[in-house]
Amino acid sequence: MNPAVEVTSLGYCYPDGTEALCGVSFSLMPGACVGLLGPNGSGKSTLLRHLNGLLPEKPPADGNVRIHGEAITAENLPSIRRRVGLLFQNPDDQLFCPTVEEDVAFGPRQLGLSEAAVAARVQTVLVQVGLAGQDRRATHHLSQGEKRRACLAGVLACEASILALDEPTSDLDPRGRREFKALLRQIDATKVIATHDLELVVELCARSIVLDHGRVVADGATLELLGNEELMLAHGLERPHILQHVHPHHPHEAH
Amino acid sequence: MSDAPQDRNPMRAKPGSRGVFAGGPLQRLPAALKLSAALVIIVGTVLLPVDWIGCLAGEGLALMLAAVVSRIPFLILIRRLAMLLPFVFGVALAGMLNPGGGLDWRIIAAKSTLCLLTVILLSHTTPLGEVIRVLQRLRVPGLLVTTMALMHRYLFVLADEAGHMRRARASRTFTRGRRFAWSALATVLSRLFIRASERAERIYDAMCARGWK
Repeated sequence: MNPAVEVTSLGYCYPDGTEALCGVSFSLMPGACVGLLGPNGSGKSTLLRHLNGLLPEKPPADGNVRIHGEAITAENLPSIRRRVGLLFQNPDDQLFCPTVEEDVAFGPRQLGLSEAAVAARVQTVLVQVGLAGQDRRATHHLSQGEKRRACLAGVLACEASILALDEPTSDLDPRGRREFKALLRQIDATKVIATHDLELVVELCARSIVLDHGRVVADGATLELLGNEELMLAHGLERPHILQHVHPHHPHEAH
Repeated sequence: MSDAPQDRNPMRAKPGSRGVFAGGPLQRLPAALKLSAALVIIVGTVLLPVDWIGCLAGEGLALMLAAVVSRIPFLILIRRLAMLLPFVFGVALAGMLNPGGGLDWRIIAAKSTLCLLTVILLSHTTPLGEVIRVLQRLRVPGLLVTTMALMHRYLFVLADEAGHMRRARASRTFTRGRRFAWSALATVLSRLFIRASERAERIYDAMCARGWK
């Protein structure tokens, strides 16, 4: 079976000369849920943008990123973007349509579905994310938690099999975080979650990758990595309190 | 999952209609009818002969009456008009300086004001989302409609950002010097421009990520 995501010696330099990624390599099997950890500016968001083909500006011929065995090229970019859903860090960047319904329908309409199919899909995903009946609401009137769920609905409406989530719980209150985590747990897709929310990583991700200065500095079982205080402190992270209450072999019982 | 902030402002007709006032008969009319009527009024005002002053006065009265019936507060109407007055004076000045012979600036100003009043009435009685849907049905070029929709979506976000920056500036402003105030304002505006431009890039990325071609 092909890995869902395969990244080989990926490097990227921003136009201002900042080296954001350097020799990043890893692969994810279908259905995996992986935490992408690291301090601010370590390259997490840049890496996620590569998975969806937003970066580099022109896909290279050699293809350092493969999705289900297929290298990202200019020709297959639309198909890659349909399969890899990207949830942006700031919901206001992602919710660009006036109403929830129009925003969620944006992706399916780009796929060329009929209006009836688009409407059906919108309703299905709104129910899935807990926003049933909110379709006519203005996106700028939603609470932060609702904005997050509307963003997720927009991504799910494209029926992506891989979700790249950029700090999905960063500005949520405890209840919003709890609900969003429960929602993510229900979604059957390969997930890459870039986050500083270490509790979320412990609860959802069996595996984690630690990035620092654009390089992979650790890749392994979440509990082992997060339990390594020296490693955590060396890379701007910390051992989460939740680990004190987690049985090493039953991480999902943590609460 | 009920962390929805309820919109407690009774003046708002319904979601997606920021700035629209609820409750009047004009609000209940179909958006297509209101848009057509506004277009007819604007074109009619522009084409009206300059010596039909009585007609202009009657039109002004009718528009004011429509505003009252639509329950739009008079103060808000005046405030919106005042914001747009520089454009009115600009057009009037251009008319005065017309090389083909100076036009009566008062007539030009009156006509411009009536046209703006019509647009203000339309925008305060019809959610922009409905106007956009009518434009889509009329096959107005998609790029224009998308640009309008994005402007409507992000105008409020930018206004909020400007408010945040203004408050942040005020919290650390310890002098009343006018020169300093102007230079601080210029800084805020330039930062706002940069933030808007960076946000535009992120929005474009978000559109591309969901299949925008």
